[in-house]
Amino acid sequence: MAKLHSAKDLQNLKQYVGTHNDPSVTCIAVCSGTGCQAYHSQDLADAFTQEIASRGLQKKYTVRRTGCHGFCERGPVVIILPDEICYLDVNSKDVPDILSQLLKEDKVVERLIYKETESGQAIARQEEIPFYKHQTRTLLHDNRLIDPQNIEDYIALGGYSALAKSLSELDPQKVMQMVMDAGLRGRGGGGFPTAVKWTSTRDAPGDPKYVVVNADEGDPGAYMNRSLLEGNPHSVLEGLIIGAFAIGAHQGYVYVRQEYPLAVQNTAIAIRQAHERGLLGKDILGSGFDFDVTIHRGAGAFVSGESSALMTALEGKVGEPKPKYIHTSVQGIDGKPSALDNVETWANVPLIINKGVDWFKSIGSEGNYGTKIFSLVGKVNNTGLVEVPLGTTLREIVFNIGGGIPKGKQFKAVQTGGPSGGCIPASLLDTPVDFDRLTAIGSMMGSGGIIVMDEDTCMVDIARYFIDFLCGESCGKCVPCREGLSQMRRILENICMGEGKEGDIELLEEIASVMKSASLCALGTSAANPVLSTIKYFRDEYEAHIREKRCPAGICREITAYYIDPEKCKGCGICARNCPVEAIGGAKGEVHEIDQVKCTQCGTCFEMCPERFSAVVRVPRHQVQSAADHEMELHRR
Amino acid sequence: MSTRQSYADFDLKIKEPSVPVLIEPHEYSTEDRHELLLKELELFSEYYSFILHEPELVGRLNSFAEKAVQHCKTPSRINEPEDAVRQMVKELIGVDAILKKHHYDKNALIQIMLDIQGHNNWLPKCAIMWTAERLDVPLARIYHIATFYKSFSLTAHGSHLVQVCCGTACHVRGSQRLLENVAKVLKIEPGQTDDDLRFTFSTVNCLGCCALGPVVAVDKDYYSNPSVEELEQIFDLYK
Repeated sequence: MAKLHSAKDLQNLKQYVGTHNDPSVTCIAVCSGTGCQAYHSQDLADAFTQEIASRGLQKKYTVRRTGCHGFCERGPVVIILPDEICYLDVNSKDVPDILSQLLKEDKVVERLIYKETESGQAIARQEEIPFYKHQTRTLLHDNRLIDPQNIEDYIALGGYSALAKSLSELDPQKVMQMVMDAGLRGRGGGGFPTAVKWTSTRDAPGDPKYVVVNADEGDPGAYMNRSLLEGNPHSVLEGLIIGAFAIGAHQGYVYVRQEYPLAVQNTAIAIRQAHERGLLGKDILGSGFDFDVTIHRGAGAFVSGESSALMTALEGKVGEPKPKYIHTSVQGIDGKPSALDNVETWANVPLIINKGVDWFKSIGSEGNYGTKIFSLVGKVNNTGLVEVPLGTTLREIVFNIGGGIPKGKQFKAVQTGGPSGGCIPASLLDTPVDFDRLTAIGSMMGSGGIIVMDEDTCMVDIARYFIDFLCGESCGKCVPCREGLSQMRRILENICMGEGKEGDIELLEEIASVMKSASLCALGTSAANPVLSTIKYFRDEYEAHIREKRCPAGICREITAYYIDPEKCKGCGICARNCPVEAIGGAKGEVHEIDQVKCTQCGTCFEMCPERFSAVVRVPRHQVQSAADHEMELHRR
Repeated sequence: MSTRQSYADFDLKIKEPSVPVLIEPHEYSTEDRHELLLKELELFSEYYSFILHEPELVGRLNSFAEKAVQHCKTPSRINEPEDAVRQMVKELIGVDAILKKHHYDKNALIQIMLDIQGHNNWLPKCAIMWTAERLDVPLARIYHIATFYKSFSLTAHGSHLVQVCCGTACHVRGSQRLLENVAKVLKIEPGQTDDDLRFTFSTVNCLGCCALGPVVAVDKDYYSNPSVEELEQIFDLYK
């Protein structure tokens, strides 16, 4: 690879790559993100390559293994470019059909394209599918066009031109001013103005200064940072180099979870290629600016994503938070000024430089400009990555893009912000999603996980789940967090087991207020949010657990029993066959009965019972018990 | 060298002057001393049965060897002491290569430990001690890191890692039941390894493929909500 010595060289390379990309060649973009790889998309890409070779069509078609396309629910996703025909749920067996249809000019394989759920109308073009139509994809847009392991793909799309512009036309002050004017806020969840942080690092005494990419995405149910790093690592790198130029840093780190092997790999390749092209290292693009990046893999600790903890980990110590009387932007790694930003924040920087402040401010709402990527997961039809302008309402995200709740169930809540966030009930669905308004209703933006919950989700169980998670992740350094969490967990477990008592809710609130004001780091101060928000919006569920020993959603096992309605049971035997503990009696054709002693309340029978019968019902445990006692009593007499 | 038939040859060699002779440590830099120690261990593993009469050498290396025997016995079921030491030497040479890759940088300690974990599937005691010695960091710091982070294991892992995702998305979709079913089929609880070291079973906070949830991963293969019967078939695939 030839080194680029100036902005002109980069321009030439872009043109060179552009002219060598024959527009008549159709590109088959196979999603190779982690989600689709789990569906064996690598085999699929191999199948395409083989089929093309065996038909001798290498001159007409090319296969590209790209990053995540976002529509994970229907993976593996294949997009035929430039026509943007989107095939979903593609299997290796479909490859010959797709190629045969392609050869027939503009013909599509009907069975593999998107169909409207209601009208049944088939939609072939990616941009017209509702899931994509309602999105504004500025960061994720290029994912389908880029092989993340090939820097030329990124350069061909104008990549690194923002860097070239910054280095040759702008100066650090102007770059800083642009980011300031654009009002870019940190995408990691806090929403702190990025340029303010950068300025304090730049102006802080001490050398060297550092810049860090935070890709320690620990929120369960969130994977947008991973997909961005996997699919378009150069956009993050470019942002990082520009930021370093503005701040005056010459060393950067990418802190990425080692649970994301593909992201680690693609970032490492990207750094190597950028080096080979002279976009990293000494004298970048002949500007005299030196900058280098090192990857640091996180070893699996949620709290290590916190800024001071992350920087301690970068020093080779255990990633525990430190008191932040002085911000890490002033005293970070080895006590030196260090600017830490989320993957998405860095990736926004080249866009601002290239497209301008006005363009950036035209997206989003007042004070919350630009887009945000969310991972929309849980009980929703279209699981996947969603990029929308800040200020889009939850309703739009969950229903227009997400396609609503599966199996016609009732929407109950969304959980945003991971374990530090809260649950938002149906009544607040029209809340615009931005940093300030989510905080105002007791949740927070977090890094961008949106977990949808339906009527079958118990909110007390969700609170218990998060507290349990945080209990395991709390570093134990400060008392309010360590002890508060374990006491909260004990109370919540009691409530879930039907042993809650009056006053428990108030006690939870009291513990929460202490944790909020006295914990050392953001993990502790926000840890009570899942509890507080569920108490605030779903107090009736807590009360049902405590007073009536009843779980309204039928999730808490200790107080729920499964019961087969003899009137409805047709004796089909499906539940009995699938019961893992063989607790269901009654031969085929006879009414089945659950042996409550053997039953472990796993719920398999409930799900297996055919919808037309719906004979298995969830009832509070004490009802079944009293019925059984009654029967015993009769028997004894 | 691994068979007992060639013992006679060793006997001869031992009598020659090229037998491992300990040189006083102060004549060497720390690094040289480590190299030497590694060589000695290597020779030690080869001559193990014959040099027990050389008290000097044994005295120097005995503690290492004992630990090697201890840790090698469990994971690989090595019963012969010389095999155990040989195994340890192999591991330590691997550790040395990793340390070299990271330029013996103390700041890269977590990265080094991740590599050792990746290389061996766990952190053998001798590897931890060796790292502490080589980098000149306190052993306690290494244990602090090893017990703090989830990626590290101080006990031997099975050859296949079974992970049930307990992320929020999987939780609301019923990962608890999947967890119980996997435990039932594997007959071990999360965090445990089965007796024949085939599977290690653990939970994980999010695998990031929420569309498949609830999901169980065996090594790098992902399975979406398998039933008990399907689980049995899946685990049969991994020998």
